[in-house]
Amino acid sequence: MRGCFEMHSPPREEGNANDTIMILFPEGKPTHHETFHEYCAAGGYQPVTKNILDEVTAAGLRGRGGAGFPVASKWTIAAQTEADTRYVVCNAGEDEPRSFKDRVLLEYRPHLVLEGTLLAARAISAERVYFYVNETYDDCFARLTTAIEEATDAGFLHGITVTVHRAPTVYVAGEDSAALEVLEGKEPKPRQKPPYPAVAGLYGKPTVVNNVETLANIPPIVRKGASWFRSYGTPENPGTMIFCLDDDLNCPGAYELPFGTPLPQLYENLGNGLKGGKKLKAILPGGPSSAFLPADQVDIALDPESLKRAGSSLGCGVMRFYAEEMCMVEETLRLAQFFSRESCGQCPACRMETTMLATMLERIQQGKGDAALFDQFQKVIDFNRGKGYCALLNMPGPPIMSALRLFRSEFDNHLRYGRCSEAQAR
Amino acid sequence: MSCTYVLVCQNEDCKQRGSGELLEKLHEKLKDSGGVEVKPYMCFGGCQAGPNIVLYPQKVWYAGVKREDVDDIAAHAQGGATVERLTGGIDPSLKDLIYQLLDAGLF
Repeated sequence: MRGCFEMHSPPREEGNANDTIMILFPEGKPTHHETFHEYCAAGGYQPVTKNILDEVTAAGLRGRGGAGFPVASKWTIAAQTEADTRYVVCNAGEDEPRSFKDRVLLEYRPHLVLEGTLLAARAISAERVYFYVNETYDDCFARLTTAIEEATDAGFLHGITVTVHRAPTVYVAGEDSAALEVLEGKEPKPRQKPPYPAVAGLYGKPTVVNNVETLANIPPIVRKGASWFRSYGTPENPGTMIFCLDDDLNCPGAYELPFGTPLPQLYENLGNGLKGGKKLKAILPGGPSSAFLPADQVDIALDPESLKRAGSSLGCGVMRFYAEEMCMVEETLRLAQFFSRESCGQCPACRMETTMLATMLERIQQGKGDAALFDQFQKVIDFNRGKGYCALLNMPGPPIMSALRLFRSEFDNHLRYGRCSEAQAR
Repeated sequence: MSCTYVLVCQNEDCKQRGSGELLEKLHEKLKDSGGVEVKPYMCFGGCQAGPNIVLYPQKVWYAGVKREDVDDIAAHAQGGATVERLTGGIDPSLKDLIYQLLDAGLF
């Protein structure tokens, strides 16, 4: 992957920070397992003289876990809620399909993530932090444990207790309140909100739950300042984001780019296009809950506002590119089946909707349905809207409805022939 | 002659309240009955009122069904009277949605 980066590195312009050194991975992608001494030599764990919360507020950092909630707002709520104890949870549950940015951050820059979490704790006066790490990430556990030992020995924990907890590999276990349930020794099931975790989270105490990438941005913001941070990205979304490309592309990997970067920079220059030179058919720009975009929107800018205007979302930066030859009925069915499988089952509306949508698509895919089914998708989604504890209920709608709109002829052919085209059915 | 479908919800809540047994009993009761087919159904969305059974194409929704109701529902499926005591408690808009899905062939 290093070779890919060297061959397809972005154009660099003198004096333009956005094209030179990135915030989380200086070279724009993970290349080197940073040691404690290297991290300290680069300014890590230096005494903080600024007000952390003020600096994060000025930086305009938004959460990188998918929802894009302003980080400082969440922290302020937790800090201002009367309590004898507060907690910070670094969420590395990472069960989003094809996402691995939490893993690479913890493996390559564990001290960056650890210091970011400790700074968050200091900002809200929390005395205890939890690392909630995907239970399959053995390397992350090892590197994080070592990092915690090194920082403890050096006296950088400032009295904050650090606990590492294994997160089950269940999709909803990454939802913030479900993570708190797991930390309390219960099943990974989202809580009804409000109250939100920032008000009443772990053991009922104000708790900030932030994604790994979100917290990794804190040390650079505190060290180099909000103005420097805002020199990356867009006014609405300052900073960078790590985008995950999988092996459908010639150069898969985790790439850090400023918000607002044109998608071709990621898809063509870094990812080097689809394997085999295949023609692009569609893009799923924000993970399985985002709406498909057609190939002719490949020039879009990578920021939440641009994606929203195009009818989709950026999510947590997991990008999927579909080749012309791929069957979008089967791909959409896979997404619907994923949500049906991963629904935790506690909300009747979610159970019904996810099961129903997957079954409806399965019928169409098998050529067993009725054309009247097409009109029922939106009705099922509308009927259940707002009836679940977490966002999973809202997730199947965007990919399904966009696929029906963009690739309707494929759905019609599947319904009629059980295949993508009449020719294939023969 | 058109078939009557006796659709028995087999999703989590209904199953916890005994819909698996209802499905078995209705199968047993109606296995030799021409023109009636008993089928499991993925979910009707009326989880709070389950176990739920829908007769289609009659579009009659039975909620809160117990094992002692099986004979009456089987009789209805074979041309008998609607079991009125089991027809309440379901949101009309949910019924409308489910009936549209059944009309579209989703069973």
